[in-house]
Amino acid sequence: MTLDAAPSSPRRGFGGDTILTIVILAGLGLYAGIFASPYGLRVLTLAGCQALLVLGYQFIFGHAGALSLAQGAFFGLGAYTTAILGAHYHWGFAVTFPLSILVPLAIAGAVAVATLRLASHYFALATLGLAQVALLVVVNAGDWTGGALGLTGVPGISLLGLTVSRGLPLTAVVWGVVALGVWLAWRLTRGLTGIAYAVLRSDPLAASAIGLAQSRLRFAAFLLSAGYAGAAGALQAHTIGVVSSETLEFSAMVTCLAMTVIGGSTRIPGALIGALLLTYLPEWLRFLEDRALLAYGVALLAMIIAAPEGIAGLIGRVLAPRPRASRLPTPASVPLQTAKSAPLEARSLRKSFGGVVALDGVDLVIEPGEILGLIGPNGSGKTTLANVISGLVAPDGGVMRLGSRNLRTLSAEQIARAGIARGFQTPALPPSLSVLELVALARASNAGTIGFLPSLRGRDAGRPRRRFEAEALDLLVRVGLSTDANEPCGALPARLAWRIELARALALDPVLVILDEPAAGLGEGEQAQLGTVLREIASRGIALLVIEHNMPFLIPTASRIMVLDQGRVISKGRPAEVLRDPAVIAAYLGLETIPA
Amino acid sequence: MVTVLQLALNGLALGAAYALVALGFVLVLNATGAVNFAQGDLVMAGGYGAAVFASLLAVPGLALLPIVIAAMALLGLAVAALAYFPLMRRPATAVFVSTIAIGLVLQNAALALFGPEPRAAPPVWNNDPLRWGELALSSQALAVIAVAAVLVLGQGWLLARTRLGRDLRATAQDREMAAALGIRVNAMIALSFMLAAALAGAAGALLANQFFVTPTTGGALILKAYIAVVIGGWGSLAGAVVGALLVGLFETVVAAAVSYTAASALLYAALLLILLLRPQGLFGEAEGRRA
Repeated sequence: MTLDAAPSSPRRGFGGDTILTIVILAGLGLYAGIFASPYGLRVLTLAGCQALLVLGYQFIFGHAGALSLAQGAFFGLGAYTTAILGAHYHWGFAVTFPLSILVPLAIAGAVAVATLRLASHYFALATLGLAQVALLVVVNAGDWTGGALGLTGVPGISLLGLTVSRGLPLTAVVWGVVALGVWLAWRLTRGLTGIAYAVLRSDPLAASAIGLAQSRLRFAAFLLSAGYAGAAGALQAHTIGVVSSETLEFSAMVTCLAMTVIGGSTRIPGALIGALLLTYLPEWLRFLEDRALLAYGVALLAMIIAAPEGIAGLIGRVLAPRPRASRLPTPASVPLQTAKSAPLEARSLRKSFGGVVALDGVDLVIEPGEILGLIGPNGSGKTTLANVISGLVAPDGGVMRLGSRNLRTLSAEQIARAGIARGFQTPALPPSLSVLELVALARASNAGTIGFLPSLRGRDAGRPRRRFEAEALDLLVRVGLSTDANEPCGALPARLAWRIELARALALDPVLVILDEPAAGLGEGEQAQLGTVLREIASRGIALLVIEHNMPFLIPTASRIMVLDQGRVISKGRPAEVLRDPAVIAAYLGLETIPA
Repeated sequence: MVTVLQLALNGLALGAAYALVALGFVLVLNATGAVNFAQGDLVMAGGYGAAVFASLLAVPGLALLPIVIAAMALLGLAVAALAYFPLMRRPATAVFVSTIAIGLVLQNAALALFGPEPRAAPPVWNNDPLRWGELALSSQALAVIAVAAVLVLGQGWLLARTRLGRDLRATAQDREMAAALGIRVNAMIALSFMLAAALAGAAGALLANQFFVTPTTGGALILKAYIAVVIGGWGSLAGAVVGALLVGLFETVVAAAVSYTAASALLYAALLLILLLRPQGLFGEAEGRRA
């Protein structure tokens, strides 16, 4: 997850994690087939149920970075669905198993619609509330659930007339489902979608800048986690034959959390290691008796502080201390522009923060292919205007259109996908992602291939991914960054930030690019290069809105300049005209002329 | 009529204890942006603290309270040192997990030390009801309300009227700006954890007379404190107190009329509804967002 401020992006191809996963599964197969006693098989089967639960939890907690406290409840819901339908109504596995997945899915869907939008602790406590309601219902609906005593008589698994007997066959079926879950999780997270989740949790602003639909991504992760939990609960009910309300208690949830953190929260072998370790630990450490939870607590705290990437991460570090730098692809030309070019038009934009008026009726038109410079004293509303246009701040009033499209009804991500891309005053670049990965991700986001459905169809990995990277490299060449493409964003000097941000913006096939003080901190040579690149982009019909204090840079670069003061447009026109405007000179108080 | 009055008094007493928990919750949330999931277990620790000190010293609960509060403040410092400061540069979720771990350790340490049987703390003064003619009111409930009121008002005075409180509020509002003004931000955060634990401990000592204390007492409290905070709106101390009183009253009345389970279920359902419909709290303002 998440627990790491700078998550490493998933490595490509047939990497260490894949090998580790196969080794673990093969080792377990060997142990189960040759050495295990009946009791050993039973413990192994239960560990399989936990592994499935943790694999699912990795989606919401590890990849999406949201603390759900309902994973135990979804597990319990799956277990009770199987138990009630099997014990009371004698329904078969072919019906009860899918239903045990669907019931938690439906409840997760209903809760998620509103809560996933909300930040961190809202979601954590809302899911905790859900878990408590589930526990209360189960304990008090005794006729159905057996109350606090639990429900006995859950039948074994039988499918197509075949009955799976306890022992090796049951172990094989459960671990077969685990292997299926592993395959699905690998398929969903190996490509650019896995990287998209890393951006989502480490830098939400960067995620919205490349048009990632954050709520949709988190929603999908939450549903997957609920589905896996339901399947795990159903299998455990079949294995033990009894379901009790203990499965819904907070301690079961915390055990799942501890397995995930200790094993490693974004890596597939981590789920297997965490589940196996914490299932076997109480077996090995009998002297702990019922102090296992105390040990879990201490281990959880120690891991989250000392090794947030978990045991799987530690193993990965030992096996591959340095990620291999992959060879750069051959650039594939991206046609800059732009069938969708359209003017941006804003009228009477207003925005106040508390009593402070940041925008006081701003009118603005930016035509395709023009570079509009936006200047004004500090606090005049420049960045607020950029934030309003890009959808990060909702205006209090006014009209905003791109061509015929009303921007006021769109979210920041939708505005980015509609063709308004932007860079930030403090660049929003996920430090551990390579430049190439970031721009390729933006390219994939623009093509609509980020998400679990596209990744299931392989549209964000393998050959499609290589095509996105080739296009990304073409854009990086255009902004003069090709040789550093494999470097992590965080390792590059700040003076290169504008190039990364511009390449990321161009990856969205933009109609309009907004830049906030791109020339800040640049030497004269770099400023000249920036100007050249911006004019080249504008010549392709892309509009640019450039916020800048640096007049020697802006005057030769901009086609027009607009001046904001206290939230109002006090002047606009060609650079030379604006500089002579008395109102502008008065606004820059104390200056006889504007520094030119 | 008499029953209604007694019921309302019990509800207010419960709400007053919840208010202490909720105040500590808001203090830490504002100072760090992170939820202290161990807050409920700190209440439990305070309850055991009071029970243990009572078995060593034969004095009324009121005299034990300062000892419990001081010991709990130290525990709060330990929580900050273990669960917050090593993780302060990580996403808030990391602190959620570390405080959950602390809660787990506290719960199971209590189980190991004291076993699962409920323990009771001594009453604040004594348990003799106060009588006016036919009217008999629980003196414990009145004492709980009085003690909680003193602590809440003391907290309000500290935050509003003292230099220390001003530094605490500045830290909560904008940590970088506070640091630039020369406020020792880390000390203020540690102090917030200490105050939160002290308030939780006081609540534990007050609750553990009528409601007893078991190792798992804390679990439900974190949700109730959160519900109080959500009702009251974020960051508002007065709102959290009002929310806590409402939660206590509601729980007591519904538990008496229907059942304790029904009261809890309705509260949690209300939490979900509020989060779905008005995440900024019933009385709160919408939060702004900086880009």
